[in-house]
Amino acid sequence: MATVRQKGYYHWDGRLAESRFRWWPITRTGIKLAFRKKGFRFLFAASFLPAVGFLTAIYVSERLEDFKFMMRGSDRLIKIDPGFFNTYLTNSSVLFLVIMVIVFGCAGLIADDLKHNSLQIYFARPLRKKDYLLGKTAVVAFFVLVLTFIPGLLLFLFKLVFAGSFRFFLDYPWLVPEIALDSIVLAVFFACYTLLLSASSKNSRYVMILIFTVYLFSYILYVILHSIFRTPYTALVSVLADIQQVSAFIFGQKPPHAVPVFWSFLVLAAVCGLAAFVLKKKVRGVEVIR
Amino acid sequence: MSIEVRDLRFSYGKVPALAGVTFRLGEGAVGLLGPNGAGKSTLLRILLGFLNPQGGEGTVLGYDIRREQPAIRRSVGYMPEDDCFVAGMDAVTFTSYFGELSGMPSQEAMKRAHEVLFYVGLEESRYRLLDTYSAGMKQRLKMAQALVHDPKLLFLDEPTSNLDPQGRTDMLELIRDIASHKDIQVLISSHILADIETLCSSVLILNRGAVAAQGRIDDLRATNLSLYELRVKGGEEAFRGELEAVGCRVDETEDRLIKVYMPADMSRMEIFRAASRAGAQVRYFIKSRTSLEDLFAELVGVD
Repeated sequence: MATVRQKGYYHWDGRLAESRFRWWPITRTGIKLAFRKKGFRFLFAASFLPAVGFLTAIYVSERLEDFKFMMRGSDRLIKIDPGFFNTYLTNSSVLFLVIMVIVFGCAGLIADDLKHNSLQIYFARPLRKKDYLLGKTAVVAFFVLVLTFIPGLLLFLFKLVFAGSFRFFLDYPWLVPEIALDSIVLAVFFACYTLLLSASSKNSRYVMILIFTVYLFSYILYVILHSIFRTPYTALVSVLADIQQVSAFIFGQKPPHAVPVFWSFLVLAAVCGLAAFVLKKKVRGVEVIR
Repeated sequence: MSIEVRDLRFSYGKVPALAGVTFRLGEGAVGLLGPNGAGKSTLLRILLGFLNPQGGEGTVLGYDIRREQPAIRRSVGYMPEDDCFVAGMDAVTFTSYFGELSGMPSQEAMKRAHEVLFYVGLEESRYRLLDTYSAGMKQRLKMAQALVHDPKLLFLDEPTSNLDPQGRTDMLELIRDIASHKDIQVLISSHILADIETLCSSVLILNRGAVAAQGRIDDLRATNLSLYELRVKGGEEAFRGELEAVGCRVDETEDRLIKVYMPADMSRMEIFRAASRAGAQVRYFIKSRTSLEDLFAELVGVD
């Protein structure tokens, strides 16, 4: 029979574990906290609407005879190939929803810890800086992968189901790894982008605005610069354009802008490098002890 | 020994924060005292592994402060001075979260979080959002997160700051219970000398990056200084000058009571000789029981 104890302080008779996944509680808690926010669940659910649209397109592509009256004789309107999946993953509406999910779910990941001085109690634990950052990175990566890799994979599987054969898989055996690679690139980039901006301020609302406006205004800046200089290299200033360039390369498609993909990759890598530099400077247990 | 350091050195750029600090701290509650800039925070940062010392060596609970920082952090609970919490959490989630980060299994951390929140007196409000907590509740919460993984040593940084009188009394009672009945060693950094005097039997006093005094408070009182209180008539200024000339420190209270801090090796007859030379009549003379405040004032040179 268990001992009935009075309320008070008792020593814990367990043993503290030395886990290799010390970052996992940070990730799990970060995801839980995001879902506790008002309206976030609705936004998150709504973010799958583009995937539903693309799923419909796959279904229609397999039932072209049934839908011919709608297609007006153009059978090539819906062509399911790597380009279709590239379009899904770099679609401006999909990426816009990814940004919105990040804005409302992840903006405060580091900003709130800076604001509420909690870094010092994190690092008073047997937690390394890389555990902390990995935990926070994984929160953003979770949301990005759930909105890119999971629907991408499901679209692929539904294509096989609707086709009723493995022909599509045999035609494009590298498509699933390409979807995975592109989703990982997106997840890593958006994680670095989000944590960079989140670490730049203690005000999470300011960070929310920053995440949204940097993404949006980089595209607007590209349009303005392009109209002035008429050179495709202006696309490098746009986050969206750089993502589209790199994704097109991964899926073996023609890049949408006449700029070597290497430059776009370099821009995205530079953002990640800047994030690593800023995070190294800002995320310290010691700075908040006065 | 819970903490032992030898010749510990650290500088912020060219500004030395710790200049060869050596001490050994034993069991029970120990007060860490010193004026601003004395090196208290730097010492705590080094002991917690936030900073690497530039010289010297040391151990906390037998773990090397340079090479075994994770082991130290696993065995130490830290209650910082600043308000700190995670936005959007309630107290149970917060406390169990940090238990888990210390290495506790998830379910054990949750169970333990309830226990320590009861212990620190937050049982009624443990499901409330932390954003709505008062200063006193946040202070208790910080104590709960420091205790959740059952540390062997507790670092408390200004544990009674921002508390109302009742909150301060409760917090002192809590710390006293932890230090005296729960087999947890406590290192308390505080500016409130009365708190240290109430809670601790030993102190470590830092001044300008060096150890000004260390040991049991009673022993330090006895050995470090002799304090006399007196009243004189006539020649006060000259008397004061004479005492300072022979190496005494002299303070005067608002009601003209003169406090004379004499070096330990000086005879009290020097006071009468000084009075004689200054032409002052000694009307009242008593050897005072030195408080921690007196000791601190004498060693650090500030009131």
